[in-house]
Amino acid sequence: MIIDPQFIWNGLVVGSLIALAGLGLTLLFGLLNFINIAYGDYMAMGAYFALAANVRLDLPIVVSILIGAVGGGALAVVVHKAIFSKFMDRDPIVLLVVSIGMAFILRNVIRIVWSTDPRYYAVPVEEGPSFLGITFLPEQVAIIAMSLIVLGLLFLLLHRTRIGIAMRAASDDTDLARLRGIDTKRLVIYISLVGGIIAALAGIMLGLDSNLRPNMGFIALIPIFAAVILGGIGDPTGAVIGGYVIGIGQEVSVAFIPSEYKPVVGLVLLIIGLLTRPDGLFGEATR
Amino acid sequence: MSDDSPILETESVTKKFGGLVAVDTVSVSIEQGEITGLIGPNGAGKSTLFNLMSGFLEPNNGAVTLKGEDVTELQPDKRAERGLIRTFQITRELSGMTVMNNMLLAAQENPGERILPLLTQPGTVRAYEDEQRERAEELLKYLELWELREEYAGNLSGGQRKLLELGRSLMCDPDVLLLDEPMAGVNPDLTDHLLDRITELRDEENRTFLIVEHDIETIMSISDSVIGMHNGEILVQGEPETVQQDEQLLEAYLGGEV
Amino acid sequence: MVVSFSLVMVTLIIIGIYAILAIGMNMHWGDTGLLNFAHAGFFAVGAYTSAILTTPVGDAGLLASRTVGFDFPIVVGMIAAPITAGLFGLLLGITSIRLDGDYLAIVTLAGAETARLIISNEAWLTSGVQTLNNIPRPLDESLPAVLPYDVFYFGLVLLVLLGSYALFRHFANAPFGRVLHAIREDEDVPKALGKDTAWFKLKSFALGAALAGLAGSLWAHYVYAIQPTMFLSNLTFSIWAMVIIGGAGSYFGAVAGAVIVTGIRQITRFLPGDIPLGNELPYLRLIIIGVLLIAVLYYRPHGMFGDKERSLAGMSGGGN
Repeated sequence: MIIDPQFIWNGLVVGSLIALAGLGLTLLFGLLNFINIAYGDYMAMGAYFALAANVRLDLPIVVSILIGAVGGGALAVVVHKAIFSKFMDRDPIVLLVVSIGMAFILRNVIRIVWSTDPRYYAVPVEEGPSFLGITFLPEQVAIIAMSLIVLGLLFLLLHRTRIGIAMRAASDDTDLARLRGIDTKRLVIYISLVGGIIAALAGIMLGLDSNLRPNMGFIALIPIFAAVILGGIGDPTGAVIGGYVIGIGQEVSVAFIPSEYKPVVGLVLLIIGLLTRPDGLFGEATR
Repeated sequence: MSDDSPILETESVTKKFGGLVAVDTVSVSIEQGEITGLIGPNGAGKSTLFNLMSGFLEPNNGAVTLKGEDVTELQPDKRAERGLIRTFQITRELSGMTVMNNMLLAAQENPGERILPLLTQPGTVRAYEDEQRERAEELLKYLELWELREEYAGNLSGGQRKLLELGRSLMCDPDVLLLDEPMAGVNPDLTDHLLDRITELRDEENRTFLIVEHDIETIMSISDSVIGMHNGEILVQGEPETVQQDEQLLEAYLGGEV
Repeated sequence: MVVSFSLVMVTLIIIGIYAILAIGMNMHWGDTGLLNFAHAGFFAVGAYTSAILTTPVGDAGLLASRTVGFDFPIVVGMIAAPITAGLFGLLLGITSIRLDGDYLAIVTLAGAETARLIISNEAWLTSGVQTLNNIPRPLDESLPAVLPYDVFYFGLVLLVLLGSYALFRHFANAPFGRVLHAIREDEDVPKALGKDTAWFKLKSFALGAALAGLAGSLWAHYVYAIQPTMFLSNLTFSIWAMVIIGGAGSYFGAVAGAVIVTGIRQITRFLPGDIPLGNELPYLRLIIIGVLLIAVLYYRPHGMFGDKERSLAGMSGGGN
């Protein structure tokens, strides 16, 4: 059976999105050690910030994306400072439940401010060039380009800057980092900022790919979690690879199963992963 | 079972954490009805060996045998069912449960832990529970915890928690008990009392003990056999008098303490 | 403020059904410390099982293309609903219950969404995104005229609520519950004492899921028309809020939490339609629940009726 190359291309687009979002989630998890359910709503909020800039203020899409990203980062920092930091001495599971409450709040704020109708960015709808039997839509190309640029910048940040190296160290072992005199409190703020920016960018890409809805981020969470767990929770490279595996798996699955069941592919891959490699694809987990 | 085969054995077990070899091809035999002391400086691999024996860690290599049966692949609960009970170095009292409930939890083959008997045989369940309560009462009185029976375990002092763990283990009626520093933080009067109990259980009921303890004098006084560990390896095993004079072990201790 | 008798009865019935859901969740989270995000899924599986078993084929609305239906008596549906929901819980649990709690959270979240996708797409079985309607109501039209139907149904719900309350409390206070509590505190300890903790967790999970399935059956036979959007994860999170606000580990608290949270969710029904912010009220209510959830976790971790002493035990001083 030959798989339509279009599916692979679509999978790369979706995979880029999941990989990017998964990277942000796993970075946050690595340092804070709890699963943040509100992450999906950071994504949605970022997307709607960009929408406000793009549609309400009539700004060009590139500027709007930047505004959305900054807004998402600021949101994550504020939420961390105002809410999560108050629970840092508690069981990680308590923080997870707190993040449920936070998700509730953010999602319903979106519903009140922007209504539940689907929204669209003001970008021209264009036909894309097509060769080798693949149609390359401009927004798809933009999504892949954006995610590659952000992934590249993040790689530089994590490997070439002092703050990034500190982030990785702390993510590997928070106690050890504290011993080495790394100011983990400040680091948490930076990582919330970076995680929020990434979430917002992923949300904007999601909005460009289809449309904006208040629960868009929450729905996207499942394949993102699947990617993060598949890659080994807290492992940035693993999350990116997990993201592409799930994205391509989802799109290619269309050749075999009804497309309505695409979202289930993430769950199935996740369960296979959990049963066979509970520490993630790449051996020993960092937890 | 025959008396001459060891009740608990490890056969060249190795456990690595990343690059560190915590336990390095260790073979030891624990004889039934004996008290065996396990000594060695910090980081010698004593707790890791405990975890390998009790099933909380799986060895990279080697095998663990309990009563002649290979239990290497068995989960901790399956080993406990076969009569091997361990305590933890850092006490693992169930802080949100009362002292009494900590004890009752340890009762084995409790019909009240299964759904069906709970619904169909309330009488049996109650009778069993009463019986266990009496056993718990006897043990708690012995351990001087009876007054605290309704206290949450999390509110006990460090020494009291150690005692509770010991009591909980005894509730299981084990054949082999692995005790990880059972005397740490326990008040000295009670320590002697406990040692008496342990020797009594050995002498009268043929129970087996493997005890990690930092107080060398204590361990030498009650053990039938002593194992000295260092850097994940067994340096020496034998009668307390022999082990006490082992130069290598002495050196390891001196080196470790500096 | 208009308060009609029938509106009060409807609210009471909904509170009762949610309280049953909260009781199941309390066994998971309060007693065992399991993170279950699939409660809406178990509720849905129960509702659809009961509906499919008790309606005839092809009698389910104009647009539906449902080709399966059994027209069995209602009692068959009410027995089957907890069984299928319990099995679904078992299935989800088997994949991840041995692993850390976080994994169970994600698998159950995804599992509930999968259940909803299947319900939405397999129209031959469930009517898909259409409403599955004409679900029979027990003793409909055979009640004496003096007894309003909602009063009868509330009685039925109350009976199930009291029964499940008594049963689950009995489990929690028995040696079985003691093992669950030990797992919640520190799973290694019961394991070291010879308890097959994975098996206990699965039992706890299946029991709570089965009860949610029974609640689903009660729901389906009351509203007589169900559709997938009734079973969104929002519902799961509301039930979490009930258990936390009431006090995790306390069955009385779970019921009280259900009263409070459902009260907040339903209160706007009693307000006239033309008040300011009228359209935004449903969302405002959910924001209030979210704020309440966080505030309770911060100021009163043991909830309204949870055991304060227990939650403080071991937090201050002591050894090591």
